[in-house]
Amino acid sequence: MATEPADVLIVGAGASGGVVALRLAEAGLSVVCLEQGGWLDRADYPGNKLDWELKARKDWATSPNIRGLAQDYPIVEDDSPVSPLMYNAVGGSTIIFAGAWPRALPSDFRVRSLDGVADDWPIDYFELLPYFYRTDRQFGVSGLPGDPAYPPDAEDAPMPPLPIGSAGLRVARGMTTLGWHWWPEFNSINSVAYDGRRPCVQRSTCQSGCNEGAKASTDLTHWPKAIALGARLVTGARVRRIETDARGLATGATWIDTDGGEHLERARVVVVAANAIGTPRLLLNSSSPAHPDGLANSSGLVGKRLMMHPFANVAGLFEEPLMSWAGQFGDLIESLEFYETDERRGFVRGARWGLAPTGGPINTALPSRAGEQAWGTGHHEHVRTHLGHGANWGLFAEDLPDEANRVTLSTTVTDSSGIPAPEVHYSMADNARRMLDFHIERATESMEAAGAYKIEVDRLMRYSGWHLLGTARMGNDPTTSVLDRWNRAHDVANLYVVDGSCFVTSTGVNPTSTIVSIALRAADHMIETRFEQQVPV
Amino acid sequence: MTAGPTDPAATADVESLDAAERTTLTAVADRLIPEADGMPSAAEVVGDDRLRFVLKARPDLLGPLRAALRPGLGSDVQARLDALGRDEPSSLGALQLVIVAGYYTDGDVRERIGYPGQVALPLRSWEVPAYIDEGLIDAVLARGPVWRDPVTGTRAVVVDAPRTYAERFAAPPEGDSDGHHGT
Repeated sequence: MATEPADVLIVGAGASGGVVALRLAEAGLSVVCLEQGGWLDRADYPGNKLDWELKARKDWATSPNIRGLAQDYPIVEDDSPVSPLMYNAVGGSTIIFAGAWPRALPSDFRVRSLDGVADDWPIDYFELLPYFYRTDRQFGVSGLPGDPAYPPDAEDAPMPPLPIGSAGLRVARGMTTLGWHWWPEFNSINSVAYDGRRPCVQRSTCQSGCNEGAKASTDLTHWPKAIALGARLVTGARVRRIETDARGLATGATWIDTDGGEHLERARVVVVAANAIGTPRLLLNSSSPAHPDGLANSSGLVGKRLMMHPFANVAGLFEEPLMSWAGQFGDLIESLEFYETDERRGFVRGARWGLAPTGGPINTALPSRAGEQAWGTGHHEHVRTHLGHGANWGLFAEDLPDEANRVTLSTTVTDSSGIPAPEVHYSMADNARRMLDFHIERATESMEAAGAYKIEVDRLMRYSGWHLLGTARMGNDPTTSVLDRWNRAHDVANLYVVDGSCFVTSTGVNPTSTIVSIALRAADHMIETRFEQQVPV
Repeated sequence: MTAGPTDPAATADVESLDAAERTTLTAVADRLIPEADGMPSAAEVVGDDRLRFVLKARPDLLGPLRAALRPGLGSDVQARLDALGRDEPSSLGALQLVIVAGYYTDGDVRERIGYPGQVALPLRSWEVPAYIDEGLIDAVLARGPVWRDPVTGTRAVVVDAPRTYAERFAAPPEGDSDGHHGT
């Protein structure tokens, strides 16, 4: 007997999928989610174990190509200097993200109007602001109110700030000397017990999963609540394609279980939340005679305009011990001093700086990302002067959209289910290169002002593709965008994309806060318009 | 192009290394991390116990480790390291990681370098942070808004923006949470 189709099928149980599932379940809709990964037990996370730094380089690596776990899919990245990073599980990449929680800034939504490049968004900061507040409460954000880098808020972060540590204080003093903006970072990490979760213990292993459950991940913050309200989450479910009917409406998805069995999940509305690599991969894999270039792709932009935030690292070394292996990771402090455009610098837009902890002894002893090696008699001096004595500015450069930077389908590589893998084609633009050069110089000055006696620079890190954005952009014109301003596909009236694919420009900040706020807004819209929603018969 | 996952059932114990490989590993360990500055050498520290620990955590390292220790690369340690760095960086990386991980997961070594591990530290979120006491936040606030007004394209002007942290706390957020702001 055929089962009744779900009101909504969500593909992907990560950040945006979790937010949409909970909101729709709260509204009484029947929700089913297909997730290729499984549930994780945080007792198994390696952060509180002796082998943490070993596991972090393999099973807990941020690159799926290094992990190679059964639930991962390979990414062909030979044509990119930056590797996309992600995690496949209930909670998605929130399992291993840092938890830094800056919002996009008002100017980010009007890049064309203000700076004459890229495109304006069809939405703005102030339209998103109520959703920022709501997602701050849902995820649990710690932060110091009043950051003058943002418009005044009507609502403070729900928790007090996390500590900035000795390294953060050192660098903050230097920034104050220079008269530059800095602020304690907002993180989706508990500074006190919140929503049934424990506070942070400063272990600094956030990117290997949080043993305490203090860092927000949607397997903790959203899915248990959504399931309690009736949402159905199917794990080990790898979606092959979205199916459509003769009217061009989505009817559900075909998926493969871990034993290779094929299934069809029917639904009235389909929501894709598979990140800006997985989402275009799925849309392109959903081609048919009716849409031979992929689903929702009449604009030809599915997969194009990939943005990943070129990332550089500026590390200062200090004589005094800073115990900088500890602290949220997450960021300690941030700076938006040089975030906005100043054309005298020779580029447009800017970058956010985030100061992070520096890692343990194995990371310190091995050759640095900048290529520095310290073997032989100098080894012990190297470790003595580096371990716990560093402070790292991570510089996230705004990545402007370029159609040449794109995700396509591999003709030779598949995942273990036989589904074509994504291929990433990406290069860093001259504007971003000049931007990084400028910011590296300023960050170096910041470290000097803080008293660093040595500064080490890593100009473009390969394993830095945290922020996957732009491959199904939103916009008002169906010929130049994939999604409308409510994240609905122009071409398919009952298909939504709610992950970072929808970004029009990349902003220069960590995007998760903005992604989930846009996703929540889209879910509200689905609920408000549900009686007008076209659905398959 | 894709490395395989760590297989928990994989057999990758120290007994997998033969005597010649063990001898070579000891020689390389002594070259990379020698006794100096009051610290023991890796050759001394990375014995069976530490190797067993590393290979249990990372059985995938055994293959490239053995490749890096194979007799065909000769008896000269530096020549071996140079050849691996030139021709087999992944094998060299595995060799370095096994030695470094064995060394820095040793309790005595950790004690000597003053590293307690990634231990849990209690937060004291009720305490006033030093950066407020020192006036560092006041200095940031005194400069006024940093964000760029998307209407004017210039740095925003916020009427009655707090210029000290005390002012900010004395004037809690106003209005509802509908996105209205005070510019």
